[in-house]
Amino acid sequence: MPTRGTLIYIAQRLLLIVFTLLAVSFLVFITVHSLPGSAFESERVHGKALQLVLHQYGLDRPILVQYWSFLTSAIQGNLGVSFQIRGLPITPLVMRELSVSAELGGTALLITIGIGTTFGVLAAMRQNTWVDYTLTSIAVVGYSVPSFVLAGLGELIFAYWLPTVTNGAIQYPANWTGTYGTLVELSLPAIILGFYTSGQVTRITRAAMLEVLQQDYIRTARAKGLKTRVVTVRHALRNALIPVISILGPLVISIITGSVIIENIFGIPGLGKEFVESILGADYNVTVAVFTVYALLIGIANLIVDLLYTVVDPRIRY
Amino acid sequence: MATVTTPILEEYAGGTIARAQVGLWRDGFRRLRRNRLALAALIYLTVLVLVAIIAIFWTPYNPATILPNTLTFLGPSAGHPLGTDDLGRDLLSRMMQGAQISLIVGVGTSAIVLTVGVVVGLIAGYFRGWIDNVISVFINIFYGIPGILVAIILYLILGHGLGNIMIAISATAWMDMARLVRGQAFSIREREYIEAARASGARSGKILFGHILPNSLGPIIVQATFVIPIAILTEAFLSYLGLGIPSPLASWGSIASEGYAALPLEPYMMLWPAVALSLTLLAFNFLGDGLRDAFDPRQRR
Repeated sequence: MPTRGTLIYIAQRLLLIVFTLLAVSFLVFITVHSLPGSAFESERVHGKALQLVLHQYGLDRPILVQYWSFLTSAIQGNLGVSFQIRGLPITPLVMRELSVSAELGGTALLITIGIGTTFGVLAAMRQNTWVDYTLTSIAVVGYSVPSFVLAGLGELIFAYWLPTVTNGAIQYPANWTGTYGTLVELSLPAIILGFYTSGQVTRITRAAMLEVLQQDYIRTARAKGLKTRVVTVRHALRNALIPVISILGPLVISIITGSVIIENIFGIPGLGKEFVESILGADYNVTVAVFTVYALLIGIANLIVDLLYTVVDPRIRY
Repeated sequence: MATVTTPILEEYAGGTIARAQVGLWRDGFRRLRRNRLALAALIYLTVLVLVAIIAIFWTPYNPATILPNTLTFLGPSAGHPLGTDDLGRDLLSRMMQGAQISLIVGVGTSAIVLTVGVVVGLIAGYFRGWIDNVISVFINIFYGIPGILVAIILYLILGHGLGNIMIAISATAWMDMARLVRGQAFSIREREYIEAARASGARSGKILFGHILPNSLGPIIVQATFVIPIAILTEAFLSYLGLGIPSPLASWGSIASEGYAALPLEPYMMLWPAVALSLTLLAFNFLGDGLRDAFDPRQRR
């Protein structure tokens, strides 16, 4: 049952998210509008015709007025229209891309937590043996090898050397066939993205496990004659997972950042690809919309993680 | 307390083996030397720095010149140890120039982050009050905004150039450093020796840079080291997308991007920047880990 303090805390955090969205959208709005070039430059519209187009999209008004009209319609869920694809409403576009990115990011998050906790527990159980050294080294390799390097390697292997493994589903250059990609198409980018962040989870899990294994209640459990597996999973792992939940927030941020890179490499039609394309095409409204959605996602993810923390560890109160 | 000075009285030391006093730095370096991975990383990075310095004065060929009478996608040979690229430029020369750019961006960004983060963090943590509130609210509002998105936008606005790419990456990276330094200043200013310094008439500047900063240097150095691989990776990715270092300058990221385009023809062209980037990032991460174990004992795993 949420206490009064928790509710006040949630309210404060929601207020902070609102402030973040206002600040981020304003700054990005102002900044992208000062970018050189415009979406209509390549169209060979000049003089009066250009004025007309600019007027049509409201781009001839003072920038603060433009921001205000963006803000008022954004609050009602209307993020405006695209310049590149003339008049295309952005809200449904961004929602679809968000679902694609969420599919990729969600899969990667599961892979990260799966690999990270497994490696972390194994490394802690075999502390200071070759198992420990190997697994912790893999963790560092994970976030040291750039994802575009892994992507290139993965494509070389699966598109050229061993195309039969995936029945030719992984193509070069990478490009998703459908909006959501097939399971095979999804697997390579999701594994690369998940592997990148798994190193952090490995380290945290390992450190937490080592600390928990020193606790008195573990000794008690062992003294009772419980099997190692039961002690590890039921007594140690459960408590060791608390710090892992605390880094879920930064983890989600890392995955979002990583997905921008991965989506552009693998041609995945998600938010990250749209962001880069919109910036290059001076499609201001889309850039601002995507950036604001990212900020909202991160704010909500952090809030959920903090609340989740109080659930798994009742000692924590806000 | 820049040194561990536990004065051992004569009568006290009698029964124990009085250990020679070791300063924090010497103690830290001793621990660092015992860390083989960190040592290997340090050796690799030294070689890399040497290569980058040599590249200022000499590269086998001009890295930007399209060599006459040279085939494109030439495999490794005596004349071109790493082969040539899609335009027939010498890849070893380009990789050497790439090393230069990666190191400049990494260390330069780290220096900017260090300066801004330390100054802002110290001010917030030491003076507290409204100035801390303003800084903390600012950092809280922008905390977690993916740095790469900000870097892409800013770099396009600032225009091409090595300095601008460093500023674009620093724009978000300084906040982590400021948070860290603020926390350090917050706790250290409550220590007795700060009180003693203040009582003996030391000014704020002297306390900040003479007492608080030296005592939080360990975690600051560790954090600054970890900024380097992040900056190198961000620059490489921007160049990979074609948004980074302008052609004909060679960045490991842009070589990797050209290599990716040529992947089915010549896999080795992607191989060189891939190996170089991976090893360099790995080395900085191992070095950072080693420094943390050596100089930030409270965080020791």
